[in-house]
Amino acid sequence: MTSGPTAYSFEWAAIWRGLPYLIQGAGLTVFISVIAMVLAVLLGLVLAALSQAPGRWPRGVVRGYVEIFRNTPLLIQIFIVYFGLPQLGFRLSPFLSGLSALVLYAAAYNTETFRAGLEAVPRGQHDAAASAGLTPLQAMRFVIAPQAVRIAFPALGNNLVSLVKNSSLVSTIGMVELMFVANDISFNNFRTFEIYGAAAVLYVILVLGLTRLLGLAEVRLVRAS
Amino acid sequence: MTMGRRSILWISLVALAAWLVGAGPAQAQSTLEVVKKRGKLVAGVKTDFPPFGSVDAAGKNMGFDVDMAHLFAKALFNDENQVELVAVTSGNRIPFLQSGKIDIILATVTITDERRQVVEFSDPYFLSGSLLLVPKNSTVNGLEDLAGKTVAVVQGAIQDKDVEQLQPKANRVKFGKVSEAMLAVKGGRADAYAHDDILVLTLVKENPDLRATSKVFMPRPYGIAVRKGDTEFIKWVNGELAKMKKDGTYDRLWKKYFADVEGQLVRP
Repeated sequence: MTSGPTAYSFEWAAIWRGLPYLIQGAGLTVFISVIAMVLAVLLGLVLAALSQAPGRWPRGVVRGYVEIFRNTPLLIQIFIVYFGLPQLGFRLSPFLSGLSALVLYAAAYNTETFRAGLEAVPRGQHDAAASAGLTPLQAMRFVIAPQAVRIAFPALGNNLVSLVKNSSLVSTIGMVELMFVANDISFNNFRTFEIYGAAAVLYVILVLGLTRLLGLAEVRLVRAS
Repeated sequence: MTMGRRSILWISLVALAAWLVGAGPAQAQSTLEVVKKRGKLVAGVKTDFPPFGSVDAAGKNMGFDVDMAHLFAKALFNDENQVELVAVTSGNRIPFLQSGKIDIILATVTITDERRQVVEFSDPYFLSGSLLLVPKNSTVNGLEDLAGKTVAVVQGAIQDKDVEQLQPKANRVKFGKVSEAMLAVKGGRADAYAHDDILVLTLVKENPDLRATSKVFMPRPYGIAVRKGDTEFIKWVNGELAKMKKDGTYDRLWKKYFADVEGQLVRP
């Protein structure tokens, strides 16, 4: 690959030079992803439970939320929160803008995942809980939800993996996470393959770590039941 | 779950390495021959950088750089429409060139020593300094007022480094596009946006809520860029540039695009 004007020679040194900065960026990726995961799981649980509540209104509101946030690109949501809301006089910091968009987007998926889990719990479990004297809320908390979470867990894992990768979109609003750092380095040293390649490897490592943790959590969840 | 985590990692790394090794586009011919054979020039231009490269209401590319691209096509094929315009940004224009997606960059590239290492530059065709775009009622009049303030810059643009060097006390926030950096100022997310004077002056005309500072800093020339080592192509480009300057085409373009802000520009 050395002849001709466009020959590109791979340069390991570019990776070693960029690596400390990339790892720093990966730190923010982990930070924002972990917070977003926790909030998106909690919000998803609450909304999924709400969708099972009696009456048309709760279900309709949850449905509307899911359809809006699942059917629009995350990038648009990020831009609306970051650039759009300040024009209406509502200004969140870049971090909170990115975080809230990520949470709202991921929670829409989690809601659907948990709802599917809730609906997969056999009807007989509700009846059994009721005949054991549990109130509907107690039944949800102690009988239905634990089973639903276990059913939903593999799909939830996929949502969380997507969340880590989707966090790269907050680079567009100046958040100095992994994708931003990769852009920043390669736009200045022009070692595109090396830097994006290194960033891709770091994402793989992060996601492998996450799936490993999720695997451990799943084992505990099964053992607990 | 039959594979260990370590083996998955190794397989991924090998796959990545294979992708990287297969990635180098080797091309011994000059781009000029390739373009002539293809019958079409592929030029990277900006779409958010008036008056050099922008898009009109009908979605048509327009601007100084865009006109130049059409003129090059005319010189090559005697048909100014034999050019494909590809939208690029300050950040991705050089990777686009390096990876062979475009033949030539006509996108307000300031000539710097770092960039000289990776592309072949033409003779200068414009001289641009930098200005700050600030809200109309701002008290900021220059870089010296920006200590402790937030300055928007575009990733890959020279002002990123300039501001870091000239006003290290400013907090830089970087965006991918001109429109985003400008929105950051409009939304109060940044106190100023530093970019090329010609762009800032043009944006001010279109946005009455913003104004430009008056002190131009770090004037440097723009160059047209082709792939590193492609001396044949860059010689051809320089020849065309010289012709345009001689036969009045360049002056006509200058008047068409810069006449109304001429007084505020740095003259070569």
